[in-house]
Amino acid sequence: MVKNEYLMYPARVEKIQKESFDTKTFKVVFEDKKMAKSFHYKPGQFVELSLLGIGEAPISITSSPSRKEFLEFTIRTMGKLTQAMHQLKPGDRIYIRGPYGNSFPFEEVKGEDLYFITGGIGLPPLRSVINSVFDNREAFGKVKILYGAKTPDELCFKEELNSWQGMTDTEVLLTVDRPDEEWKGNVGVVTTLWDKTDIGPQGIAYVCGPPIMIRFVMEKLMGTGFKGENIYVSLERYMKCGIGKCGHCNIGEKFVCIDGPVFSFTQLKEFPEKERAI
Amino acid sequence: MKEWLLKKDNVQDLCMGASKKWETYVPLEEIGGDVQFTKLNGKGKRKSLEKPRLCAQGRGKLNLDYEWLVIPPKVIAFPQLESLFEFQQGKVRETISPPKKRLLFGLRACDVKGILFVNDFFKRNFEDVYYLNRAMNSLLVIVGCKRPLKNCFCTSTKTGPFLEAGFDLQMVDVDDAYVVEVGSKKGEEFINTYKKFFNKASKEVVAQSKKAKRAAGEAVSLKVDFETAIERFSKDKIPQEIYERIGERCIYCGGCLYVCPTCTCFHVFDDKKGDGGRRWRNWDGCVFEGYTREASGHNPREEKWLRTSRRYEHKLKYDYLTTGMSGCVGCGRCLASCPVNIGISKFIQEITEERRIT
Repeated sequence: MVKNEYLMYPARVEKIQKESFDTKTFKVVFEDKKMAKSFHYKPGQFVELSLLGIGEAPISITSSPSRKEFLEFTIRTMGKLTQAMHQLKPGDRIYIRGPYGNSFPFEEVKGEDLYFITGGIGLPPLRSVINSVFDNREAFGKVKILYGAKTPDELCFKEELNSWQGMTDTEVLLTVDRPDEEWKGNVGVVTTLWDKTDIGPQGIAYVCGPPIMIRFVMEKLMGTGFKGENIYVSLERYMKCGIGKCGHCNIGEKFVCIDGPVFSFTQLKEFPEKERAI
Repeated sequence: MKEWLLKKDNVQDLCMGASKKWETYVPLEEIGGDVQFTKLNGKGKRKSLEKPRLCAQGRGKLNLDYEWLVIPPKVIAFPQLESLFEFQQGKVRETISPPKKRLLFGLRACDVKGILFVNDFFKRNFEDVYYLNRAMNSLLVIVGCKRPLKNCFCTSTKTGPFLEAGFDLQMVDVDDAYVVEVGSKKGEEFINTYKKFFNKASKEVVAQSKKAKRAAGEAVSLKVDFETAIERFSKDKIPQEIYERIGERCIYCGGCLYVCPTCTCFHVFDDKKGDGGRRWRNWDGCVFEGYTREASGHNPREEKWLRTSRRYEHKLKYDYLTTGMSGCVGCGRCLASCPVNIGISKFIQEITEERRIT
């Protein structure tokens, strides 16, 4: 019999880290030890995460394959499943199937300068690449992380952002739309960080964030002289199955779930204009 | 090709006989005249197919001369609503139907094209076990159309009223009998198993069947320039104005998708009862506003014309790009079901500048 690709596997929530008022990071371990060992993924891939009786949703993996035998998901409370996820406590059971989708370029960009440009809840999928890079730091060139959020509270991975800042040849630039009294950093959208540092045009850009941010970052990167094939974007789409069957994430003849979620800017330009939705 | 002769008087006995070995589906005319592809009860409880009775599955009159099946036979392997899992106290049980030999007797050519298309889709990339278990052991028996309806345009899409390949058996109506063409080894084995119902077809009757096939093709009155339409899609961008104009009339009910033999989109949802529940899937469609709406509220296809464009470009452009097969089989159901009288054929007439949709 054909393998049932819709079958989900039980996993336990080990640790829950509060990131902001609406975002938490869940550290999760498969109940079956063999499964935990054999679950291989690449940075940029996602899983279908579910709670029985509530539903299923595609969630990107924020942990790095270089740190084994657990998975991390950073989830903002948004829809039915994510709201239920936020009610969970350590020890609770969730279900996972995957990993699905393609991944960000990693092996093939060794030696290159890397630019991570992200906003809001767009950092979690990039964090999988970032920590993979830092676990193999000498293999890559400069690393610059440009990260924007609405308010200082909404920045994810606050401690980790500090530790990344301390890595060799690495710059972390933060910005917020609405500062609080303690905020001393940049104020404005993520593209305003272009004035604070040198960016490209050589190197690889990784982009993830809300559609409006992606649109402005693309313009800025192209204006800076990046080549379309050196810009990678992870797209968000409403999805059900994650395996190219339910149809919801289709764009042109592609499915974001199996042909993506990562597309180069060159690929994005091939999509029907209005459906790029960036 | 070797041809056989099946007397019309023998068809019922053949179906009832086969239904003991095969899960057999035939076109049954229910009271009210609707024809549905319905499972026969193979346990001998139903002795005759002739007398229409009310409602219950498998009760009705076998009708191979039916005009059309409102719901395409994709529904046999891809039901409108189906359970994927059942859960009880944290235990998950897969609710997959076991692989079964199925006989689909009396399909139209266009619907066989639809089945082949959907089979290919559910096999591509990740295999869908729920669908494949139901679909992959099927014997497909065509009874070709004699009187195509006014919305049919299968000669334009080259999907009927008879096929050259893809079927296991294909039957051509010749007065009091059918000439049966064998299209596969499975089909040949079927004939060998039920040999008592089949006779060798004479040269004369085979010639008569060829004539009948030609006549059926000529009777398809609606013709559209399918090739030009496909070519236009590959070369050109269809103006937004056309989709907007269709969008003004379209009420986005999704009827055309539900009755389309090649539409496969589905929604997945859970329900909960006490400490148990189920995960289900049901048909969904790209013309609905919620189809692409993300939890954040962001919707890449919020504008109506984008959904109209998706609906037509998927069938006539993207399916070609991925499979080389057309997603439209010319069955005409979309037009027949449309409350505002638009279907793929009219869309083709619009983009080939034959007739404007107003």
